[in-house]
Amino acid sequence: MSTRTKNILTWIVTFVIMLIICLPGLWIILSAFRTNGEILTKPAIWIPQNLTLDNFRAIFGYGENVVGIPVASYFRNSLVISVTSTFVAVLIGMTGGYAFARYTFPGKAATFLWLMLSRTVPGIALSLPLFIIWSRMGIIDTQFGVILVYTAINVPFTIWLTEGFFRQVPRDLNEAAQIDGCTPWQAFWKIEFPLAKSGIASAGIFAFLTSWNEYALASQLTRSTDSKTLPVGLMDFTAQFTIDWAGMCAMAVIIIVPALILTFLVQKHLIAGLTFGGVKG
Amino acid sequence: MAEVALKKVVKRYGDTEVVHGIDLDIAHNEFVVLVGPSGCGKSTTLRMIAGLEEISDGDIVIGDTVVNTLPPRRRNISMVFQNYALYPHMSVRENLGFSLKIAKRPEAEIARAVEDAAAILGLDALLERTPAELSGGQRQRVAMGRAIVRHPDVFLFDEPLSNLDAKLRTQMRVEIKKLHAKVQTTIVYVTHDQIEAMTLADRIVIMKDGHIVQVGTPLDVFERPVDTFVAGFIGSPPMNLIDGTIRDDTVVFGDGRSLPVPPDFAGRLENGHRVVFGFRADVLMPKGHALAESGTVHDIDLTIDLAEPLGSESMLFSSLAGKEIQARMHNPRAVRSGEVLTCELHLDKCHLFDAETTRSLRGDG
Amino acid sequence: MTRLRRTIRDNAVPLALISPAILIILMVVLLPLIFSFYTSFTNYRLIRPDSLWQWIGTRNYERVLGDWDFWVAFGRTVLFLTVVLNLELLFGLGLALLVNRITWGQRTMRTIMMFPMMFSPILVGFQFKYLFNDTIGLVNNGLQALGLTREAIPFLVDRWLAFFSIAFAEIWMSTSIFAILILAGLFAMPKDPIEAAKVDGCSNWQVFRHITLPFLMPFIYIAMTIRSLDVARAYDIVDVMTGGGPAGRTELLWTLIARTAYDDARMGRANAMAYVSILLSIFFTWFFFRKLMAARKHLGAF
Repeated sequence: MSTRTKNILTWIVTFVIMLIICLPGLWIILSAFRTNGEILTKPAIWIPQNLTLDNFRAIFGYGENVVGIPVASYFRNSLVISVTSTFVAVLIGMTGGYAFARYTFPGKAATFLWLMLSRTVPGIALSLPLFIIWSRMGIIDTQFGVILVYTAINVPFTIWLTEGFFRQVPRDLNEAAQIDGCTPWQAFWKIEFPLAKSGIASAGIFAFLTSWNEYALASQLTRSTDSKTLPVGLMDFTAQFTIDWAGMCAMAVIIIVPALILTFLVQKHLIAGLTFGGVKG
Repeated sequence: MAEVALKKVVKRYGDTEVVHGIDLDIAHNEFVVLVGPSGCGKSTTLRMIAGLEEISDGDIVIGDTVVNTLPPRRRNISMVFQNYALYPHMSVRENLGFSLKIAKRPEAEIARAVEDAAAILGLDALLERTPAELSGGQRQRVAMGRAIVRHPDVFLFDEPLSNLDAKLRTQMRVEIKKLHAKVQTTIVYVTHDQIEAMTLADRIVIMKDGHIVQVGTPLDVFERPVDTFVAGFIGSPPMNLIDGTIRDDTVVFGDGRSLPVPPDFAGRLENGHRVVFGFRADVLMPKGHALAESGTVHDIDLTIDLAEPLGSESMLFSSLAGKEIQARMHNPRAVRSGEVLTCELHLDKCHLFDAETTRSLRGDG
Repeated sequence: MTRLRRTIRDNAVPLALISPAILIILMVVLLPLIFSFYTSFTNYRLIRPDSLWQWIGTRNYERVLGDWDFWVAFGRTVLFLTVVLNLELLFGLGLALLVNRITWGQRTMRTIMMFPMMFSPILVGFQFKYLFNDTIGLVNNGLQALGLTREAIPFLVDRWLAFFSIAFAEIWMSTSIFAILILAGLFAMPKDPIEAAKVDGCSNWQVFRHITLPFLMPFIYIAMTIRSLDVARAYDIVDVMTGGGPAGRTELLWTLIARTAYDDARMGRANAMAYVSILLSIFFTWFFFRKLMAARKHLGAF
């Protein structure tokens, strides 16, 4: 095969793969702007006849065909829960990651391993005892209850990422700062934190996405508009007699968009973080 | 004014002791260099003075203050790190002014101090750059500037030149020496490079395995090494050292050849004493290619294995009693390998060490 | 005791720094797991709270291990993971090598590759439920429009097709993790060994087999480790796509646990199953983590 044919072939294969990756999402986005009538028509209508924002109006409770699903509340819950748990998880994870990167203490390796292993527990398996305990404590179906859980499941990964980033900051910078007159806290805050900032930010975005996307735990720990998140709310549609595909697609778009934006922001640091966290000892 | 005193300072990590109770007094304005092979405890000692390592036992005094438990920021010291440790997210100006900013000094004072330091080190044009935009030598200078900017009592240097290439190292060595003359501060400097130690120090402290082996001026340690370790470590090439036994004021080597006992040691040693005979290449020179010097001269015939011409002189490689030795040839001519030359050995400048203890047998040493 | 006290005093700072992390994990993960471990030895049913104290020993485990449905779900889960992880690795490797060859638009492609990683599993499930739907799905509509089939293909109803559809969704979601990390490995790879091997007369395949692949192994194991942390996310996909049905044909271990616990309200027995699933997850993670460490040591020379 000549180099030219090879190149063309490479391009074709790449194009097909990219299409497979992009098409499902694009199709959902497109469907979100179509009417249910058009989606359900047989044989299929390929070129959309009229694009409309009605689906979005409907799920947020405006317009003629109001959907009986309180998407606005779900959105608010998702936002509050994700933002709060991310903030707390980053705070706790960063402190822990710093300790693992900078200090040696007895049982360090074992502690690290156990923290990471805690992340492997399947959500559904963890939901069983949490469901019982949270019920007894009266924090089932509350934002607080979910925030607590999400913080905990985000901490290990945040520690892993930030530990890697802090390790990249040479230790003697901290020492130089202390000699320059800094307290240990000042040395951290003025020197090491700014240098690891981008890594910490990507850890935060990762934690946010985990919380934003989580389903297994939330589906058991939330019941009502008080705490139900968007992924759980999406399942509300399937409980109805006729599935409102267009509405579901509109809601899916609402879940996708923040994820897409954040991915765009975080991609560079994320790869760096995952790679050196794993490869360098 | 700041003298530094180390009194029986010990460092342990868990159960392993790495610095074994060292004593050292450093005078105000003195330039002291700690030198030794890696793992000798010199860096640990420096870091204990800085307060970056806790001391396990003993006292460290800076000025009039026992600083044993004081954190680094309270010791009024500054330090130049091996990797410079410049803050990558700050400009050179911010790097220089950082310590004063932390001390909450007024803006104007900081600006003035930074300008002064920059002027001393020739950094004026680089103030707005970030460390990433600087060359190795420039970074080195910024690191020194950061150290001088707040007029500390003591300067600490931790192998500051080891990351520079040979040419730049020589240049920076001169600059450090000049800097010391300008700022007049006590300096403690750690290196593994004996040439740096010789050229920079007022006094050299030679360390080995967590002990201080010898303290003295560069000339002292060069001319009167206390043991074979110092003799081999200081000076380039290292001192020629040959095992032998005393018999009637001569030192007899393993192959039966012998040399007279140097005058400084004569008449004091019993027959049968096992010794190490030491002399530098500088005091072994082929006849007609030697420096005219008075003193006791002994001639030996040596078969030259290899000559290394260096231009103004040549280094000759030969062997004596199975040990490779080096000699120095002034006003060199071409020497064939295998050629036999008669060489002058200046006995006044030779050394004898005890073979067992490795200590010098010089009476006053 | 004094020894312990001294250890704590000597390490006060790092211990203080990690204690919030330890505390919250203790509270939200470890204690609940201990509790669920206890309940797995009781006859606990949600509707009868006092049954929490009915100690029945290992009967739950015996029941679970003697239950044919459980073993079917367990076997299906292991089969599912084996198929899915291997295909993800294979596709990820292929994709990475492909993108590595392309010089123009590489960054864009890397970004596109990351999107599936960021999708909520529940969305991925929904997306393919929509795509594979037998009346309105894009796939069936497309196949019919092209005249390839007359009848709609029951992607989510037929036993094997549903398994395939779910696996497809899972692979779509997670291949990127492999592709991106392997690509990062390819970027980090030193060129000298490859050139040396070519000079030594290796064919392209030999270079790949003996130089490139060993260098990529740690990256592959990182991807595997990260993936095994999240294998249970397949629950979300199955739950939205088929709900484990029809008639339990796509039941995985995790959906079976949910059904036993919440629909049948047999908490004790569900917890016994949950422990099996936890061990499974830990085993996968541990296995790949060990491999990662070994590979890392092996490659120390690089």
